[in-house]
Amino acid sequence: MTGIPMLASQSLQLQEAHPEPSHLLSGGRKRRFEQQVLPHFAAAYNLARWLTRNDHDAQDVVQEAFLRAYRFFDGLRGEAKPWLLAIVRNACFTWMQANRPVEVVAFDDGIVDTVPADDDGPEAQAARSFDRRMLNEAIAGLPLPFREVLILRELEDLSYKEIARVADVPIGTVMSRLARARRLLAASLRDASNISGTQERT
Amino acid sequence: MTYNEAATLLHAYIDGQLDSAKALEIEAQIAENPSVRGACEKLRQMSVAIREEADYYVAPDWLEARVRAAIPAGPAWRAWLKPAGSFLAIGDWLRPAASYAAVAFVTWVVALGAMRPGEDEHITQDVLASHVRATLSTRFYDVASSDQHTVKPWLSARLAFSPPVADLSKSGFELVGGRLDYIGAQPVAVLVYKRRQHVIDVFVWPVEAPKAEQTLTRDGFNIEHFAKSGMGYWLVSDLSRNELNDLAQLIGEYSAGP
Repeated sequence: MTGIPMLASQSLQLQEAHPEPSHLLSGGRKRRFEQQVLPHFAAAYNLARWLTRNDHDAQDVVQEAFLRAYRFFDGLRGEAKPWLLAIVRNACFTWMQANRPVEVVAFDDGIVDTVPADDDGPEAQAARSFDRRMLNEAIAGLPLPFREVLILRELEDLSYKEIARVADVPIGTVMSRLARARRLLAASLRDASNISGTQERT
Repeated sequence: MTYNEAATLLHAYIDGQLDSAKALEIEAQIAENPSVRGACEKLRQMSVAIREEADYYVAPDWLEARVRAAIPAGPAWRAWLKPAGSFLAIGDWLRPAASYAAVAFVTWVVALGAMRPGEDEHITQDVLASHVRATLSTRFYDVASSDQHTVKPWLSARLAFSPPVADLSKSGFELVGGRLDYIGAQPVAVLVYKRRQHVIDVFVWPVEAPKAEQTLTRDGFNIEHFAKSGMGYWLVSDLSRNELNDLAQLIGEYSAGP
């Protein structure tokens, strides 16, 4: 992988060495985009990677999303991060609808949760008996509407209001999805640690 | 407050998303009810565990470079050429003379664009980088097929043009697949051929005015460029210059029509 950073720096030099004439016209716009939107590149990729669960797809989606973001940059009001992540999220959904439609089924928030709301026993016992790999697998295994709010909250540290903007749902829905995401995750970790516990014993 | 509502509010509480009145209500419950306190503690632990231990995926360096490089391309142009809002993008200082300046600018830029010497160099770098990236990641194609009738429709379905795809296996160039890339501010087709152990990328996209044929060597890779029947071709490989030239000839003959 040593060659890749070299390539990246090459193409950056290239850009400086041969400025497009359009720089002269849209220089201010481009500079503002670089200052306001590009700092959130890492967040954009992390979200796309968690939603698509695949490096290659995330790379394609992020490129597409930034092109769209630049095209619609004039429509940016307020914070750039949730605005960009909304574009990334929509690009992910569009991509998955075309390529993996099974994952993007219409979601009904009214369905009663089958996971117990909260009980003292197993969750508490499972509290620290999972490892990093189990945690990541459990998050990756969450259905899309739950995975999305959990990543936006815990890894991107967005407020409920910002998550509502990104996921295009009311704040109340963000709250209930996040609660269910954590319950599902706890249940999934409990199952995983039970299985690994069983395997160790046998 | 039902139990479920309270349980949901507890999440909002540990996330610091409750208004102060609701937060006080929850804090009172935490203080007097050990099971609420326990649930709250578990939620915090899980939140901390996710923040500390869940993977934060980091993009490869080339991706950000590519995103940056793509910014000033087409979209900016189109956005600027749209009448509304575009003058604002130029800045207040230009507004009084905007109409004259815009005409002058466009004329000047179109002229520049047509004769700018750096463009070929830019494309050379782009196609070379694409080839090297594909080699490093060993991801040479998005569609793997030696059948021209599979590769061509796959590419046509994803591009605004339909690239000629030649079956040259009789001449010793085996078609192995195709992929898409973004070169010179537009999506392009990449046909992937193989000769012995050498991989040859053939970049194809429509060109208006054919440019002079070129043969270049960069970083040990040979690069051939020519245009035929409205399509521009860039061939990149570590294959010998003569063999690469043979392939260019064959593709040129094929593109010219049977």
